[in-house]
Amino acid sequence: MQPILKINLTEGEISECQIPHEWEQDYLGGASLAARMLYPILTEELDPFSSESPLLFLTGPLTGTSGPTVGRFVVCGKSPATGLWAESNCGGFWGPELRFCGYDGLWIQGKANKPVYIWITDNNIEIRDGNKVWGMDTYETQTYIKNESGSSGTRVLTIGPAGENGVLFAGFICDNGRAAGRTGLGAVAGAKNLKAIAVRGTKKAPIAQPLSFSPVRSMSNRALKDDNLSRLFHDLGTAGVADYADYLGSMPKKYYSSGKFEGIDMVSGSTMAETILTGTSACHACVIACGRVVRLADGVKRKGPEYETIVSFGPNILNNDLAAITRMGELCDRYGMDTISTGNTLGLAFQLFEKGIITTSDTGSLTLKWGEIGNVEKLLGMIARREGFGNLLAMGSKRFGQHFNAEAEAVQVNGLEVPYHDPRALSGMALVYATSPRGACHNQSDYFIADMGQTDAGLGLEFYPRHAGKEKAHNVARHQDWRTVFNAMVMCIFANIPVETVVDLVNTVCGYDWDTEDLFRSGERAWNLKRAINIRMGLKRDNDRLPQALLEPYQAGGSAGYVPPFSEMLTAYYEVRRWDPITGKPSKEILTNLGLEWIVQDIY
Amino acid sequence: MATIFPSTEWLQILEIKLNTDGRYAEIAKNWEGDMCVVIEPGGALNQQEIYYLDLWHGKCRKTEILKEMPIKKPKFVLTATYGDIARIMKGELDPMQAMMTRKLQVHGSLTYMMRNVPTVLDFVRCCREITTEILS
Repeated sequence: MQPILKINLTEGEISECQIPHEWEQDYLGGASLAARMLYPILTEELDPFSSESPLLFLTGPLTGTSGPTVGRFVVCGKSPATGLWAESNCGGFWGPELRFCGYDGLWIQGKANKPVYIWITDNNIEIRDGNKVWGMDTYETQTYIKNESGSSGTRVLTIGPAGENGVLFAGFICDNGRAAGRTGLGAVAGAKNLKAIAVRGTKKAPIAQPLSFSPVRSMSNRALKDDNLSRLFHDLGTAGVADYADYLGSMPKKYYSSGKFEGIDMVSGSTMAETILTGTSACHACVIACGRVVRLADGVKRKGPEYETIVSFGPNILNNDLAAITRMGELCDRYGMDTISTGNTLGLAFQLFEKGIITTSDTGSLTLKWGEIGNVEKLLGMIARREGFGNLLAMGSKRFGQHFNAEAEAVQVNGLEVPYHDPRALSGMALVYATSPRGACHNQSDYFIADMGQTDAGLGLEFYPRHAGKEKAHNVARHQDWRTVFNAMVMCIFANIPVETVVDLVNTVCGYDWDTEDLFRSGERAWNLKRAINIRMGLKRDNDRLPQALLEPYQAGGSAGYVPPFSEMLTAYYEVRRWDPITGKPSKEILTNLGLEWIVQDIY
Repeated sequence: MATIFPSTEWLQILEIKLNTDGRYAEIAKNWEGDMCVVIEPGGALNQQEIYYLDLWHGKCRKTEILKEMPIKKPKFVLTATYGDIARIMKGELDPMQAMMTRKLQVHGSLTYMMRNVPTVLDFVRCCREITTEILS
């Protein structure tokens, strides 16, 4: 591995550290390695907004190579939204560029006494005055710093006003719309007075066996380009699944309370392709290019919304105006806010307004009625600036619900808002949301796609009907381990390539001699390590839960009448994971089996 | 009468089924487009077979077994090995699972396909219902 760059913003100290070789082998990189590195620091007492709170940006062993969909990095720390493990990965070009500077990661600690941004090149690292960019939106910041750097190839990762103001779902943005949005780490950067990190390097990502790697990555990229899902994402974006999700009833509407929405045909990826789409965009070396480029009535080309954003600002609030959804998504990107959490929290506000739990006296005279979106863009600005009613929304759905004595109505798990893949349609997501180490999350395992049919025998997955119950427990655990490997590499989950090919990619890049089970074991190890981190930070058995809304059946739509048998599914999952059914702790046996015996004394 | 897949008789009976099945007629009422199903050799099938179906508004206007792909490209080309097609016909392999796990390649407008998943699934239902025997 290349060294990790360490910067203490309090002291202005810059240093490097080298990762022990055995950690590389045990955790691969990315989020898994970050969990190992941050384990000693992440305690229940740690204030995420304190000077001591870490921000660790890590790449993976494949990042910046020409392998399939490996342009990503991950940022990890303690979430101010959940008080638990935080990780959020991001595409674009920033991660590869950091590696081209000669670093595999960047570890930020301390707090600057005034706004700063960090400037990293091959031979130079500077902590620069950030006063001029403080207050700018993420797009303006990227343009300004690029210009100041003098190189159009500079890649800028930045927070927006939401991060500066401590919005609990603030994230990072790079490459005008690629987001590390979840878990609120943008607000942690804001608390450190860290506005942005700009990188420009000329080195190459190291590859242990380049002659062996080359044919593997060529073959895998060719196969990926011709894959059905890749072509679907290329042609229609991630919202290409919207029609099918609606058919299955897995796309929530009206804040998870309705299975049907007549306007769905007007906001799908298919409709986008037929109306406003003008092109596609791709992350580093990606053959899929799921990014959308659209043109609205103002004639300006801009980023088009992905699936989560479409549902967030569309069916979630009964809005069928695709142009408005596009603008709302862009505003969130510019302010530096996660679209899932923003839309989810807004949806809760709409619901509480309908029920009369909140009124115009709470909202500052704004009415919140399903399908009436006139106030939404204004509200987004109020959230980012924490103005008036926006200050309440900026806390996220859990705290917003608590404020109005309606926490049970918030569709969140452990403080992270639920994404838009409904477990009432695709039951495996019940376990995924309840046990994800970062709160409700669809990237720790996108099991919804397995429930739709992507159950590759090479992964050891059985195909079960989408409404099957506890028999899925093994599948879900296995899929979580698999995606933990992806989040370690840090590889895009859209790379639908055979497990044997992933093994070959890892072996040729790292110089290992692993087989499939070695890879899965690495994933399982990191999954349990993150679990232990959360237990140290206060997670209890009761935290493995689903919000009430997801346990009430829809009256109509593709999943009407069904709720997942959650309790028995969770019991089966604990058995598969070898976690204690009473405390939820990983058993001493499984920890020892995974080489994690050194944490037994910390959680028992 | 046994309807053995794959065979000329099977394709003829499928055409009749698609033109008489009320459920298919309703679900596929907006479908417009022909397709070729390319069955790659394997198992009991020793050479490639290409089934052509012209599907239009809930009916099947024409079926034909082709020796090679037509010059005028059909709206969709579905390609799979005989073994995987046979598993789909037997109900052992879900058609969406086949699409998502590289067992069934789909070429054509994915926009159209995603908008019409119910039609695709009901087409498969019709195929399964007429199949009484799989060549093995």
